[in-house]
Amino acid sequence: MLPLIRKRRDPRDLQGLAHVVLFSTLDAKEHRVVAGLLHERRYEQGEVIFDEGEDSQALYVVISGKVLICRQGEPETGKVAEIDPGRAFGELAILGGYRRSAQARAAQDCVLQTLSRRDFDGLAESHKAIALKITLQIARQLARQLREQTGVVSDLPL
Amino acid sequence: MSFGNGKAVSSDGDSAGPLTWLATFGVTTLLLVTLKHALWLVVPFLLAIVLYYVLFPAVRYLSRAGMSHESAAATVSGLFSVAAVLVMFPFSAWVVANSASGEAALWNYVESGKGLIARLLGELEMQFGFLAQWDLQNEFPRKASELGQRFVQEHVTGALIGAVAWVPSLLLAPFLAFFLLRDGRRFVNLLIRAVPNAFFERTLHLVDRVDTMARSYFQGLLYLTLIDTACLGIGLAVLGIPGALGLALLAAVLGWIPIVGSIIGCIIVVLVTVADGTSGPGTVYAAVALFLLVRLLDDFVFMPLTIGRSLQMHPLVSVLLLFIGGAVAGVLGLIIVLPLAGVVMVIVDCVARIVLDRRLMARYAYARRLRSLSANADLKA
Repeated sequence: MLPLIRKRRDPRDLQGLAHVVLFSTLDAKEHRVVAGLLHERRYEQGEVIFDEGEDSQALYVVISGKVLICRQGEPETGKVAEIDPGRAFGELAILGGYRRSAQARAAQDCVLQTLSRRDFDGLAESHKAIALKITLQIARQLARQLREQTGVVSDLPL
Repeated sequence: MSFGNGKAVSSDGDSAGPLTWLATFGVTTLLLVTLKHALWLVVPFLLAIVLYYVLFPAVRYLSRAGMSHESAAATVSGLFSVAAVLVMFPFSAWVVANSASGEAALWNYVESGKGLIARLLGELEMQFGFLAQWDLQNEFPRKASELGQRFVQEHVTGALIGAVAWVPSLLLAPFLAFFLLRDGRRFVNLLIRAVPNAFFERTLHLVDRVDTMARSYFQGLLYLTLIDTACLGIGLAVLGIPGALGLALLAAVLGWIPIVGSIIGCIIVVLVTVADGTSGPGTVYAAVALFLLVRLLDDFVFMPLTIGRSLQMHPLVSVLLLFIGGAVAGVLGLIIVLPLAGVVMVIVDCVARIVLDRRLMARYAYARRLRSLSANADLKA
C-alpha cells in the first residue's frame, strides 16, 4: 500500500456527501465510489472559481461556505444565484464541453468538491447505475431552475 | 470585501505556435539524453505503460461487473503474472535445450544470406558486364565475413551479457503495471491537488488530453501489431515458409522500431526462407513483395485505422523527430521519440496557453494576495 498516495476517506466526508442533493439518491457503497473521484478545493472569499466563457471541465459541489454566480466581473450588480452548502453548480460541464455561462466566485471562504468530466465518463463506463442517478439529479435540478425562470418570465408585465 | 472588476475572459486562442514546437523539440531532446542514462528504468516503465493499456480494459470490465477497482487491478495483474510464468518457463527450457542447435542455425542463416547476396551479385555481373571488373561476387562474401567476425567479437558478446543483466530490470514491468492499474488515478489526483485553483480546470483538461493521446497511441500500436501478425502470418503460411506465425509476430514487433524495424523483419524472413533450402528464388521474391504489400497497407489503411492521428503530428515533424531520436538515444530513441514528443507537445502547449493567458495569471496572483491577506489578518498593528 502506498501511504503517500492512498488516502482513506474520512467517514464524515461520506456522511457529508449524503447531504449533497446531487448524490442524495446514492447508497453508502455508491457514495464511497463517488468519494474516490472527487477533488477537494478550498477558495478564499472573493476568489474566482471560473469565468464566464471558459471551457468547462468539472462540476462543483459546495461543502461549506457560499458561492456567488454572477455576470462576468459584476459580482455586486450582476448576481444570478447564490449556491448554499449541499448544492451543485456548473453541472453542464459533465454533460458536454459547454462554455461557462456565468462567473462563479466564492462569496465566503468555502470548501468545494469537484467531479471532472473525465471521471464522470469513466463512472458511466464502470458504474452505469451511479452515473444514471447523478444524471437524473442534474436533470431534476435543471428542470427546477427552468420552472423558476419560466415563473419569473410569466410574472413580467407584458 | 471587494470582488474586483475583471473584464477579460480567459481564452483558448493564444497559441505559442513556432515557439511551442521549438520548446517541444528542445524538451524532447533533453528528455531523450536524460532517459538514455536511465535505460534500466525507462525500458521497464515503457513496457509497464504498454501493459497498463493492454490490461486496463479487463480491469474496467471487472469493475463494471461489480468488483472494486483495487480487487479488479489485483485480479487482472495476478492472472497476467500467472499466464506469463506459464508461458515463460517452457519457453526458457526450450531456449536452453536448443541453444547449441540455435547457434548453428544462426550461422546457417548468415551463410545462407551471404550465399543469396553472392548469387544476386553474380547474376548482376552477368547482366551488366562493367560490374565484373570489381569482382563483387567473390569480394562481397570475403568482406562480409571479416565485418561479421569483427562485429561478433566487438558487440554480440557484450550484448548477450547485457541482455542477461536486463532480466531483473524487465521483471519490474509487471509490478509497475500493477501499481499503475491500482494507484494511477490516485497519483494523478495527488498531482492535481498541488495545482493552484486558477489552473485547476486547465490541468484537468491537460490530464485528459495526455491520457487520451497515450491510450490511443499504445492501444493502436497493439492492434496494429495484431493485424500485421495476422496478415504476414497468413501470407508466409501460403508461401510455405516454416514458422510463419512466429516469424510474422517477430516482424510485427520489430515494426515498433520506425523505418529500420520493418527492414530488419523482412531481412530475417528472407534469411529463414533461403536457409530452409526447399524454397526457390521465387519464394524469396514473393516474401519481399509480401512485406512491401503489408508495409503499404500499414501506411495507408491499418495505421489510419489504429494509431490514426493520435499524435496529431505532421509527417515532416515525425521524420525530423525520428532522426533526432535515433541520433540521441539509438534504437530506444527511435521507439519512444514519437509518443514522448506527443506527450511533451501536449504539456508544452497547455503550459504555454496558461502562461500566455493574462486572465488566468491575474486570477492566480489575486488568489495569492487574498491568501496572504487572510493569513496576516490578525497580525496588523
